[in-house]
Amino acid sequence: MISFRKRIIPVLLLHKGQLYKTVRFQKPVYVGDPINAVKIFNDKEVDELILLDIDASKKNQEPDFGLITDIVSEAFMPIAYGGGVTQLRHAEKLFYNGVEKVVLNTVLLKGFGLVEEISAKYGAQSVVASIDVKKSLLGKKKVFSHASVSHKMESITEFARLCESKGAGEIMLNSVDRDGTYSGYDLELIQAVSAAVSVPLIACGGASSKADFSSAEKSGSSAMAAGSMFVFQRPHNAVLISYDV
Amino acid sequence: MMYKKYNPAALMSNPEANLNRPYQQCGVSIMDTIADPDITFDEKGISNYYYEYLEAEKSDTKRGEEGENLQRFWAERIKSRPGKNGYNCILGLSGGADSTYLAFLAKKLGLNPLLVHFDYGWNSEIATKNVENAVKATGFDLYTVVMDWTEFKNLQRSYFKASVLDLDVPADHMIFGALYKTALKFNLKFVLSGNNVWTEHTLPKSWNYNKFDLVNLKNIHRKFENTPLKHLPALGLWQHAYYQLVRNIEKVPLLNWQEYNRDEVIEIITRELGWKDYGGKHQESVFTRFYQGYILPEKFLIDKRKAHLSTLVFGGQMTKEKATEIMKEPPYDPKMIQQDFEFVAKKLGFSVEEFHKVLNLPNVKHEFYGTDERQRETYYNIMRSIKPLTKAYKKLFRK
Repeated sequence: MISFRKRIIPVLLLHKGQLYKTVRFQKPVYVGDPINAVKIFNDKEVDELILLDIDASKKNQEPDFGLITDIVSEAFMPIAYGGGVTQLRHAEKLFYNGVEKVVLNTVLLKGFGLVEEISAKYGAQSVVASIDVKKSLLGKKKVFSHASVSHKMESITEFARLCESKGAGEIMLNSVDRDGTYSGYDLELIQAVSAAVSVPLIACGGASSKADFSSAEKSGSSAMAAGSMFVFQRPHNAVLISYDV
Repeated sequence: MMYKKYNPAALMSNPEANLNRPYQQCGVSIMDTIADPDITFDEKGISNYYYEYLEAEKSDTKRGEEGENLQRFWAERIKSRPGKNGYNCILGLSGGADSTYLAFLAKKLGLNPLLVHFDYGWNSEIATKNVENAVKATGFDLYTVVMDWTEFKNLQRSYFKASVLDLDVPADHMIFGALYKTALKFNLKFVLSGNNVWTEHTLPKSWNYNKFDLVNLKNIHRKFENTPLKHLPALGLWQHAYYQLVRNIEKVPLLNWQEYNRDEVIEIITRELGWKDYGGKHQESVFTRFYQGYILPEKFLIDKRKAHLSTLVFGGQMTKEKATEIMKEPPYDPKMIQQDFEFVAKKLGFSVEEFHKVLNLPNVKHEFYGTDERQRETYYNIMRSIKPLTKAYKKLFRK
């Protein structure tokens, strides 16, 4: 049997210009300096990396281009960046500085103009639509906004389909409830969304082992992203970068 | 820019580099007069370092059955005083050979150390891999103390601008602070120490500065960057005394109590703990690699390999010929210098031009910025005056 190498992507979160890791999108724990972390991932020959600034949208800020450039210059692998990208010129500047893909999240809840613009100019492969999913008080999974943007995205699959039709080349699906919990991916959610779209799906939230990657893949995701697993060692969540996949 | 000043052959005939005396090399080892004002020779041309090594080996090390007994005695003592979560000691794990071997030894002795890794933002990939492999192979738990990079970066910038010799002080100082703080947090009484006579005894005084001098550190930082240092585990004199005397935290130099052959040790940890060599001592950090391989030789004419290799020669682990052969190679892979130079500059927030300028400042002695000498005097005076009290206390409470 021919076995293909899985796409396994470390996700790094920027907060106050440094790396942090959250649990359920909250309680950021300090991980360290992003430049050195990316250098280590690079030396580990990681295939791709996702870098998300978790402050930018909340604070209505542009991407920190200087910092991103410094980080990207340590990496030979493609980097997808998200956080505060609200205009075409942001994407342009990021691409110019060596970023491979932009990740759009908050801006999608306000409309799809930017996806269309970037996709038209740079191609669908350069835009990742990121969807955060969280259970409501009543237990129903809903599209969640970490920047508290009110929206009318009732159905997750419908939203994913819209992103695809507007030009997103990939869908990144985050389970907020599983973020930083090591409880495994939300396979049900992956199945539902992967069945609804034909673009590649990146699953995120809950990874704790290689077995989790396999189950997510079987459920229909094309790539598996993970944060805690690659920056922490249990039981003390000791910071140590690893990439054993 | 690369290796202009540090040319060993030219330095031999340069009186200034030899402190205005003729060049001389130790008859036994490769220690010499270049950049070491402390070296002396006897009538046979053998340096003081040889005799000091022999003395330390005699007084501090044990071999064979005697060593094993001592290791076992301490292992039992450590096990009898467990702290939180079933751990019974702290082990600082850098990913280097000595600390990795210490973890192997702890496993062999049946100890349950909490492995503490100190992350000050300069880990190399191999260091993190070595730590990861050691954790997996031993099954011990890991705890990491991460320095706040913004604060630590500013502290390092201050040291560069101060143009002093020992740029390892900020990290070394904070490592001790971090180890003690973690010991306290987990209520542990013992710190396993990788320090040993066999591989690191020889070290000229002028090649480093007192790592515990917090007054000097603070003065240097105040004078240059003067930014807040709130989250770093600084270790003041009084706090140090508190850890040692009141909390009674003890260092246990396990490696001194057995035969220690570096080649054998590397063979064991490679086989048992999946350890990988990164070439050269203390190169687990990109910063230390750059500091010891470039700044020390270029700016201070110090090649630390002379001391490292001489220690091995004194202990019969290496011949002088082999050490001489190794010294013919530059201290640092020349291809790496440029790459590391730019990386270090960028990480510290210097432009390449600024970094050149800073590195070209005239050298300044640490003492110029003020030391903790007076604090230390007060401390010793107090200790002397309360000695009868502490003696009585020990008699009463510690058998």
